[in-house]
Amino acid sequence: MTHSTADAAAERAAWITLASVDGLGEHLVPRLAAAFGGATQVLSAAARPDRGRVDGRIRAAAECGLRPATLEGIHAAARDPEAVHRRLRELGAWALTPWDAAYPRALRLVDPPPPVLFGVGDQVALATEPLVAVVGTRRPTPAGRAFAARVTAALAVRGVTIVSGLAMGIDGVAHATSLDLGGRTVAVIGGGLAHGWPRAHASLARAIRDGSGAIISEHPPDVMPTKGTFPRRNRIISGLSRATVVIEAPVGSGALITARHALEQGRQVFASTGRPSDPATAGCLALLRESPARPLVGVEELIIDLGLAGGSPGIVPDGAMGVGRPARAMHAGDALAVLGDVERSVATLLLHGPVSSDALISATGQPPAVVAGALTLLQLRGWVIPMGPLQVAAGPLLLPPPGDPGGRPTHLDPP
Amino acid sequence: MLATLVTAVVNGLRGELVRVEVDVAPGLPVCHIVGLPDAALSEARERVRGALRNSGFEYPLSRITINLAPADLRKRGAAYDVAIAIGILVASGQIRASGGPWAVLGELSLGGQVLPVAGMLPMVSTLAAQGHRRVAVPAGNAPEAHMVAGVEVVGVEGLDDVARLVAGPRGRTADAARRRPAHQVSGGAMGADDAARGRASGTLWGPGLAAADMADVRGQPMARWALEVALAGSHDLLLVGSPGAGKTLLARTVPSLLPPLDDDEAQEVAVIRSVAGLRPDPAERRVRPFRAPHHTTSYAAMVGGGPLLQPGLVTLAHRGVLFLDELAEFDRNVLDALRQPLEDGSVEIARAHGHVRYPARLQLIAAMNPCRCGWYGEQGVRCRCRLDEAARYQLRVSGPLLDRIDLRVVMARVPPEVLIEGPVGESSSIVAERIASARAVAVARNGMPNARLTAGGVMAACQLDGAAGRLLADLAASTAMSARGIHRTLRVARTIADLTGAERVGADAVSAAMALRDDGMERLAAA
Repeated sequence: MTHSTADAAAERAAWITLASVDGLGEHLVPRLAAAFGGATQVLSAAARPDRGRVDGRIRAAAECGLRPATLEGIHAAARDPEAVHRRLRELGAWALTPWDAAYPRALRLVDPPPPVLFGVGDQVALATEPLVAVVGTRRPTPAGRAFAARVTAALAVRGVTIVSGLAMGIDGVAHATSLDLGGRTVAVIGGGLAHGWPRAHASLARAIRDGSGAIISEHPPDVMPTKGTFPRRNRIISGLSRATVVIEAPVGSGALITARHALEQGRQVFASTGRPSDPATAGCLALLRESPARPLVGVEELIIDLGLAGGSPGIVPDGAMGVGRPARAMHAGDALAVLGDVERSVATLLLHGPVSSDALISATGQPPAVVAGALTLLQLRGWVIPMGPLQVAAGPLLLPPPGDPGGRPTHLDPP
Repeated sequence: MLATLVTAVVNGLRGELVRVEVDVAPGLPVCHIVGLPDAALSEARERVRGALRNSGFEYPLSRITINLAPADLRKRGAAYDVAIAIGILVASGQIRASGGPWAVLGELSLGGQVLPVAGMLPMVSTLAAQGHRRVAVPAGNAPEAHMVAGVEVVGVEGLDDVARLVAGPRGRTADAARRRPAHQVSGGAMGADDAARGRASGTLWGPGLAAADMADVRGQPMARWALEVALAGSHDLLLVGSPGAGKTLLARTVPSLLPPLDDDEAQEVAVIRSVAGLRPDPAERRVRPFRAPHHTTSYAAMVGGGPLLQPGLVTLAHRGVLFLDELAEFDRNVLDALRQPLEDGSVEIARAHGHVRYPARLQLIAAMNPCRCGWYGEQGVRCRCRLDEAARYQLRVSGPLLDRIDLRVVMARVPPEVLIEGPVGESSSIVAERIASARAVAVARNGMPNARLTAGGVMAACQLDGAAGRLLADLAASTAMSARGIHRTLRVARTIADLTGAERVGADAVSAAMALRDDGMERLAAA
């Protein structure tokens, strides 16, 4: 009985310490651990005084050039192996290694899997399948934003955990819509947990952490995000997910990198279509032309293609929703039924995409004051959100009633 | 021989009495002006010399001393020219002041014409208040001077007219009477008056902003309604929208919608216009000011100041509307200087050589693009700004200023089919009638427009019913509204209720008021 539980715990802690050295990634951490006979041995070797010999062994084990800073990082970690663990406790964060049961199953299939996932929030979100990534441009059109919200809503109420990158634009819509409906969501960020998201998303990040979601990163907490870290985290977004849905990606969008990773990892990819000349979706169209990605022709079709059809939308699968929030599961039909006349006609007009207040006034034939009042009441319920000059449906208005073929991205049809 | 004449000076918006004493004594021919004159006033001796000679009088070859009393009051400008010239005529014995006491005001041209000066209205008011019953003013200033009651105002064209008044029917020397003044010989020469009028023209609305009628505005029902609410309650309004959304066109309808000034307001506005040299026209005395300065406007032009502590645009817009197009393009310190007027209704200008407080009870109507290229958030057009640039553009207008603007509307582009064949909206005259009656109701109830209701006053004025109170509490809780925000919502709700003729503010008015603080742009930037 040489391998006690205590040894396993020490090895796991050492592994986390080693993986938090800047410069050691999913290739070098396992390689060093294998060469020394465990992460614990790497650290104890590095702590020895004869530094020149140890560095030689590390370099040989790495099978590639190591920057002096990385070597110095290993020595620093060996001197104070507890540093990263203390920092995690400070932040209320946790770390997952492939030895942990909660390490996401889908990510184990990625070659090689990230050695450690640092995270805050609810680990259960990572393990609650299915997970689907919803990603897209940082600057969507209002229509793209509304469509992303509808896709997310349809998935979330079927118990799908929504994975995205906590960036501005589509990512934010995906997380927020999912939380709004009581669903689970996972945000994979490009930097460490202490600096991971745009300032505008501070409250969204808090909501994910404190709600039924998790924010994870492969980097230790204090790593600043750089140009290179964002594309790399995209492989984790796709790797966590059964499928990746790309909504509105112009040419060069990071969402296309996520899609490529997903395809390499053997996952499904869906990309929204659009007018042939529209730069907002040009990247999606190129992806559809050049890869096995499938066109996202409508929410209903997506649900079928993902094998989620059958469960009736609006009926929450067991365990997938927050407890005690049955009202969240109402769909557009229920929602319309509880509204007053003007509110209902305004909400109905918003069901198929964003509309300006002026267009609502002329379509309903009501005076501006009355429409304005109705919009305020709908916003108070959280069912409508003003976005620039447009009013965008949210909450239950995103969920078509059972049997309704709604949710087709009508705005993406050719003119 | 000594002659004393009464004239006046403008200090801030008030006139002050000034006594001009002229002593003509034997000695070397020199002319001294004492009593804190500025450069323009020191040059008076050249103007007076020319004017006297060209009006057929003599410029005495004696020692001339001119004293302007009180000595500690700084005198500026050319408004004393006529008094000095008449003083010289009397002191040198060319005319006898037998026409009774006259106060005289005006600038002289070398040809002897009496030219209009700024600030005539407050100066004549002061003279009247101090018991001077007869005033000779430049003909160009006569209309505004006639607005003062209780004083006999005579508009004069030339120096000889003034001399005739001062001398009375028998006081004039025969010698002088025979000659014809030069300005009449040369047909009044062109221009001084026209030039002054040119300076004043176009100032009512500002350059390049022609008036428009509400019927010219197609579509934009939400913004039209917001403007109606803003004008009915005197609420500040910000219009945000992409280029061509119709922001400026809508603003151009404002003059056709503004209710007329009442008597007291008209008097205040006329005094300001007079001091600014805009020569108030009695025919337009009830027209509410509407100023639309360009976004390159300087701090001093906006707030007032300069060497003469002149009133700025915020004061010229007193009791009226200041329209700032392209709000985000204005200088930051120019915009931040608006905070005091918006809060206090006045502006204080303090300089090393004095300070003055001007009224500036203005209603701000502003328009801006959502970003530099103008298309952020608009459907179907791609914004060319970087993401952070677009969000930052709106930060150019400081939070404290935005916070003082009650109403905000995000305008969407009008679809072409609406522009071409959409229904024609109500004309200005119909909307103006509703605005005027809502405003009258508010003033009758509060003694002021709703926008100026205090925190305590607004609760009393609103008389919220139960449902409205509950709704307001819900809204305040869900949007984390501050006390200021709640009062703002109530003031706007009060105006909306006034427009519909409702006595109490109901839930419908509260929810409608809430929508007039459109946060669509912030929501877009934060998402």
